[in-house]
Amino acid sequence: MELAWYAALGLVFAGYLVLGGYDYGVGLLLSGIRGDAQRRAALTAVGPFFLGNEVWLVASLGILFGAFPRLEGELLSGYYPAVVAALVGVLLVTVGVQLRGRPAEPASRARWDRVVVAGSALAALGWGAVLGGLLQGLPLDASGHVAGIGHLATPFVAATAITLVTLVAVQGATFLSLRMPAGQATARADLVRRLVPVALGAVGLATLLGSLSAEVRAAVHPRVLVPLLLMAFALLAARLLAPRRAGWAFVASSVALLAPVLLVGMGRYPAALVSTVDPAATLTVAEAAAAPATLRLLAWVAVPFVPVLIGFQAMSWWVFRGRIDGKAPVYW
Amino acid sequence: MDPLPLARLQFATTTSIHFLFVLVTLGLVTLLVYLQTAAFITRKPVYERMVRFWGTIYLINYVLGIATGIVMEFQFGLNWSGLSRYTGNVFGAPIALETLLAFFLESTLLGMWIFGWHRLRRGAHLALLYGVAITAYLSAFFIMAANAWLQHPVGYEVRDGIAHLTDFTALLTNPTFTMALGHVTSAALLTGGMVLASISAWLMLRRSPDYELLRKSLWIGLVTVTVAGVPLMGFGFAQFGAVGPVQPTKFGDDAAKAQAVADFTARFGPGDYLPPAYANVSLGFMILIGFTLAWSFVMLPLFYRDWIVRLKFPLVIVGLCLPLPFVAAILGWLTREGGRQPWAAYGLLKVEDAVSPISGGVVLASFLGFTALLLTLAVTNWVLIAKRAARGTADPALGRSLADVTAEDDERRPEPALAR
Repeated sequence: MELAWYAALGLVFAGYLVLGGYDYGVGLLLSGIRGDAQRRAALTAVGPFFLGNEVWLVASLGILFGAFPRLEGELLSGYYPAVVAALVGVLLVTVGVQLRGRPAEPASRARWDRVVVAGSALAALGWGAVLGGLLQGLPLDASGHVAGIGHLATPFVAATAITLVTLVAVQGATFLSLRMPAGQATARADLVRRLVPVALGAVGLATLLGSLSAEVRAAVHPRVLVPLLLMAFALLAARLLAPRRAGWAFVASSVALLAPVLLVGMGRYPAALVSTVDPAATLTVAEAAAAPATLRLLAWVAVPFVPVLIGFQAMSWWVFRGRIDGKAPVYW
Repeated sequence: MDPLPLARLQFATTTSIHFLFVLVTLGLVTLLVYLQTAAFITRKPVYERMVRFWGTIYLINYVLGIATGIVMEFQFGLNWSGLSRYTGNVFGAPIALETLLAFFLESTLLGMWIFGWHRLRRGAHLALLYGVAITAYLSAFFIMAANAWLQHPVGYEVRDGIAHLTDFTALLTNPTFTMALGHVTSAALLTGGMVLASISAWLMLRRSPDYELLRKSLWIGLVTVTVAGVPLMGFGFAQFGAVGPVQPTKFGDDAAKAQAVADFTARFGPGDYLPPAYANVSLGFMILIGFTLAWSFVMLPLFYRDWIVRLKFPLVIVGLCLPLPFVAAILGWLTREGGRQPWAAYGLLKVEDAVSPISGGVVLASFLGFTALLLTLAVTNWVLIAKRAARGTADPALGRSLADVTAEDDERRPEPALAR
């Protein structure tokens, strides 16, 4: 039961990285798009999906709180600065995207766009740092608490934070090449081709720093090589597919964003939080989970609704499928 | 530095800001359902214009509801890991169900509603709004159930030092839940009506052109305020009877208070088990505001021959009343939450044991940062609502029919209708 909920948590958070990933990717790429009309068009490409994407984060938080209350407390307070950075970033993107279209003056809109860019960068950096921190472990003491916040300031965590920014940028670029009017396809594909080597470089750097760090080496299981290779291949595939198969390139970059969750899940299982100071204090998935009665209740009430949730998300993808054109309604 | 008062202050600030937006969201979505249903059935253009105008106000307001809601949810883990650890098995369940069954669907459906005008069939588009409203109420249901559990823990047993869920239905029949849910949803409806009435009154005073829309909105708004006021007060006063026995230190008489304090002292050691004075003071002021708003019915006869507009001063009064429901709501929460101090979960877990073991400096930085950020965003949001309303009801971007838009039309619009 705990493993099933742990997998569900991973799936939903991975869903957030994939879907929220292109929100933030498009948000980052706004910085390189000139002119209000073009920026607005890029946001219109995200348009109807934006709200539905952001809630995957809320859902993963809900599962974390409901099914892993102990993990929730330790994880969020143990990685306080990274979580706060991600949270502020998510906040700025959510508010910026939805409000940037309300004022009529171009100057206010440009200001809101800068908020979106900053928020996207912060959100990606924050989640990258959290994922890096999970791989590295944290100084949990015997009472199950974490003292201080300095443990996050390592080169490895910095590298994973930057890596997630690059992955998200690639995701945003493949999404735009899939959704923007056909006339712009070549330019978007070129952007994907230019961003992928940067992302691969960041992945390489993070891998190198991870293998140099004693803490990461000691705690990560060798099976992490599988998702790591998956990420590298997916990025290469996105680069190769971008010019002709925009849809498949988007699938490939999505796989690259699923991989970090697999990395943490596979690299650390059965531990949910690894203690770097006291092996006995390591929190396993089973220990972190809620009591069986709670998990059963959640399963009975929530699982029947999963098809409904996915169904409405799929309906939204289906209704607004295809490239946007001059007829697309603009709201953001 | 002691993290406890800072963490409490941060929770109070975030929740208060969150609730100001949630009230309007819940109230306006109910009225939007009425308006869009009327538009669907009667096919009168005025209802369609109303849905687009009030829908825009609703959506601007909704943004901060989500944004502050996300901060709320993180805060449990960030600042209150003791609460998650001790009560997570029980308290976490309604929170998890809220995010999965209610909020997740609400946002997905809302995205389709915003972009689905003229793309989906009218019936399907209306159904989406119904879905948004139902899930919004479902959210209120689960969140109030979670809050009520902290007010009066039920359906659990303590094993191995933490609370375990034994009976989920007890959470839904909790005496601190049912009456409070009715109270909160009536308050939201009243606030939604007040927003409609006040903005309409204000636009009429500015001689905004769409008289038909504004007069209708003013009427609907004032009728809503009048009608919602009745259950609001009923559920409100009913809480004295329901909450008194389970929270003696909040609403009990002196004997019950002394008995409860003696009981807590025996179980948890000596301490201050009586709530702070502000809890009762704010209750008094909230009731005062409630009685003031109850006078809204005197406005209704003034619609005869449009006296309400001709006399002008009723419009000024309606316009000035806009802050009242918001102030009352905050005062009400100060009573409910302040009145159960020093407990995080009443009679089970004290706030000092619920707070995360983090340093005061970190909480201070987070408190100052988030408060500044959220206050800025809240004020910006209200300014945007005011500016959007001031631009009048003509042609909001929401729900613009692309069939009617010509290229030259598009040139002179303040905002483009089409992506180019």
